[in-house]
Amino acid sequence: MGFGTLVFLGIIVVLVVWVIAIYNKLVTLKNRYVNAFSQIEVQLKRRYDLIPNLIETAKGYLAHERGTLEAVIAARNQAVAGLSAAAKDPGNARAMEQLGSAEGALGGALGRLNVVMEAYPDLKANQNMMQLSEELTSTENRVSFARQAYNDQVTEYNTYKQTFPPVLLAATFGHSVDASLLEFADRAAIQEAPKVKF
Amino acid sequence: MDFFAAQDRARRKTWQLVTLFVLAIVGLIFATNVLVAIAVSFSTTTGLARGVGQTMRDQSAETWWLISFAVLICIAGASLYKYFALRSGGRAVVEMLGARQIDPASQILSERRLLNVVEEMAIASGIRVPAVYRVDEEGINAFAAGFGTDDAVVCVTSGTLDHLNREELQGVIGHEFSHLLNGDSRLNLRLIALLNGILFLGIVGRLLLRGGAHTSGRRNSNAMPLIVLGVGLLVIGYAGTFCGNLIKAAVSRQREFLADAASVQFTRNPHGIANALKKIGGSVSGSHLTNTRANDVSHMFFGQAVTLFMNGLMATHPPLPQRIRAIEPRWDGRFLQGALVSEAADVPEGASGLTGLSGGSSLSAHEAVVDAVGNPSAASLAQAQTMIAGLPARCVDASHDPWSARALICVLLLPDDRTARAALTNVLEPQVVAHLPQIEAVVGALDDLQRLTLVSMSVPALLTMSRPQYDRFVADVVALIRADRRIDLFEWVMHRVLLKGLKSHFEGPPSVAVRHRDLDAVRDQVAQTLSAIARAGGHDDDAQRRAFDAGAAAIELDLQFVASDPNFTRLNEALRDLRALHPLAKPRLIKGCAACALTDGAISSERALLIGIAATLDCPLPPDLAL
Repeated sequence: MGFGTLVFLGIIVVLVVWVIAIYNKLVTLKNRYVNAFSQIEVQLKRRYDLIPNLIETAKGYLAHERGTLEAVIAARNQAVAGLSAAAKDPGNARAMEQLGSAEGALGGALGRLNVVMEAYPDLKANQNMMQLSEELTSTENRVSFARQAYNDQVTEYNTYKQTFPPVLLAATFGHSVDASLLEFADRAAIQEAPKVKF
Repeated sequence: MDFFAAQDRARRKTWQLVTLFVLAIVGLIFATNVLVAIAVSFSTTTGLARGVGQTMRDQSAETWWLISFAVLICIAGASLYKYFALRSGGRAVVEMLGARQIDPASQILSERRLLNVVEEMAIASGIRVPAVYRVDEEGINAFAAGFGTDDAVVCVTSGTLDHLNREELQGVIGHEFSHLLNGDSRLNLRLIALLNGILFLGIVGRLLLRGGAHTSGRRNSNAMPLIVLGVGLLVIGYAGTFCGNLIKAAVSRQREFLADAASVQFTRNPHGIANALKKIGGSVSGSHLTNTRANDVSHMFFGQAVTLFMNGLMATHPPLPQRIRAIEPRWDGRFLQGALVSEAADVPEGASGLTGLSGGSSLSAHEAVVDAVGNPSAASLAQAQTMIAGLPARCVDASHDPWSARALICVLLLPDDRTARAALTNVLEPQVVAHLPQIEAVVGALDDLQRLTLVSMSVPALLTMSRPQYDRFVADVVALIRADRRIDLFEWVMHRVLLKGLKSHFEGPPSVAVRHRDLDAVRDQVAQTLSAIARAGGHDDDAQRRAFDAGAAAIELDLQFVASDPNFTRLNEALRDLRALHPLAKPRLIKGCAACALTDGAISSERALLIGIAATLDCPLPPDLAL
């Protein structure tokens, strides 16, 4: 048992501690982005719950715009399915992309509904309708805030995974695939990062 | 129960623990040396013939020093690693267990009920509302973790959510809050780190064993000592863990009775916690957890989380019947079958009769304040429930959602003046500004205490922000506070209460070492603090001096009144030093502050300042203090 052996053992010990630290950090960061996704889920669910009420209220006024209303319902159902698939595996590229495009389609359908509604001042003045659109806008803001938090956490996870020592081990520990950001298609306004002010 | 004495006891207990662990480590080093000697004698045929004792004598003293040093480095390294890993406080523990934060705005009844219970208790004990996590486990169990009250988290199992009713939840959460307030949870975190060092030897042993077994396929003679060393280290590692568990169990078990008692005192309802314990006894999964990592933190839980070999000796918690009998001496020995709780709306049950109970004590008013620090009563709880119920629903909802909670905080900081307001809203994100009018309408009529309550209630939602969002939010808050080029009282308190809680979560709790044992050493700082309270309360110079003198008299020090302190800079510096006071020196300071605030008969305008000062000094004040 010479000095050399001890140094060797010492190095092994340091390495082991290091590997454990990397493993734990990966787990922690993954947990954080999964947790952040559940925030988006909460807000999106709330949004999806509002839409049927909106349609119900609009129906009475928009008898001749059946197509637009049905498109919103269809887009909403698509998005609900996309969300439940994404919630099972947050960060999965396919699921995130599907949810993103479903959300984009829903946004588009709602946008068209808004345009149609311009022609019906009675509907726009409806108390119920005003409250619903107000709530929808506010939920929109919440969704974008939650999405920003999720994307920040995903970026932190991906960056850590790609830095030098972890990059060697990430795949071994089951962190081979980068987590995917959640981007909504056709929503330039929301995607715009808040302006930095001084 | 005395908060300051409990804090001091927890501190001293840390040293006792460290001593015990040092003893265990010395034993381990000796054992490893003997083991290496055995391994060496196995490696040479002559060594085997001459025996282990002779081999030990053969080697030079230097070798043994080296081995001892290596073992020490191993243990210290692993302990330090864990210590640093846990430095981010309570959050580190729940993340280790893979728990999920319950959405602060959750509408699922069982979750809402738990969130409400935690919220009420936090407000009642004057700490910021902790984030609540759940782990998906069938057993009924819960724990609170954190170095202090600022980085505290509460975590429960799904079993707890499904099987306990409001009363029982209150009992369990009261128990956990007692751990938090008494400094037990800090001790618990340190225990995890120390224990990890000893356990690590066992892990190294297992690795060597595997390496040895791997090599032995090829070259038999060389692998033998590795295997012997591996088995040996494994045995030593587990022996160490065994000692560690014994120490852990001995420390932990006593405190469980204390926490049970504190919970009863807090809720004034022995049936709540007793029934929770009975339900654990009656349920199939009991309080057990399947998560393998639960073993590391078993001493933090509400009930026994893991079954161990030789359970009686190593159990971290006293047996259930003993705990139940301590609360309900006439218990008939029957457990409750854990039926699912009925779905009814969550309404705090009639706490109305309790509000008057805090009066009638023989203590003078400012001594009552000292007594109340970290020691909430059933009256505090009733007061908190009434206060939350009195808040506008829209504000409460806003405080539970990360996005609108930010807007709510901004509204609370905006000045009343219209033009100043318009200028300030330019600083903020447009989306937040768009949301302001809705909240503004309901916030106007709130008093300082209600506003501070809302701030505290917003914390769990704000904790769900990402780091960049947090940085941005803090910058906004500071900009709002500084915007009018002066800092008023409420802004200062708000900054203290809000940012202290958030900072601990995002940047890790600060480590505050005791630097001053006596108030004599920090005279000037004490004078600054008392002067600030006196200035906040008194309208004219004379009244301010009278208040100051009353405070100085209660502290029994000869102090100099400080007439002005724009922007609270000197108060901030003074409090930074005072924070490092020994726990047993703090009650005198709090007594002085309370006496100073109470000179004109009531704590009204000074109340917010008193809360801010107490929060900075880590002395949580219940809201019902001597009202």
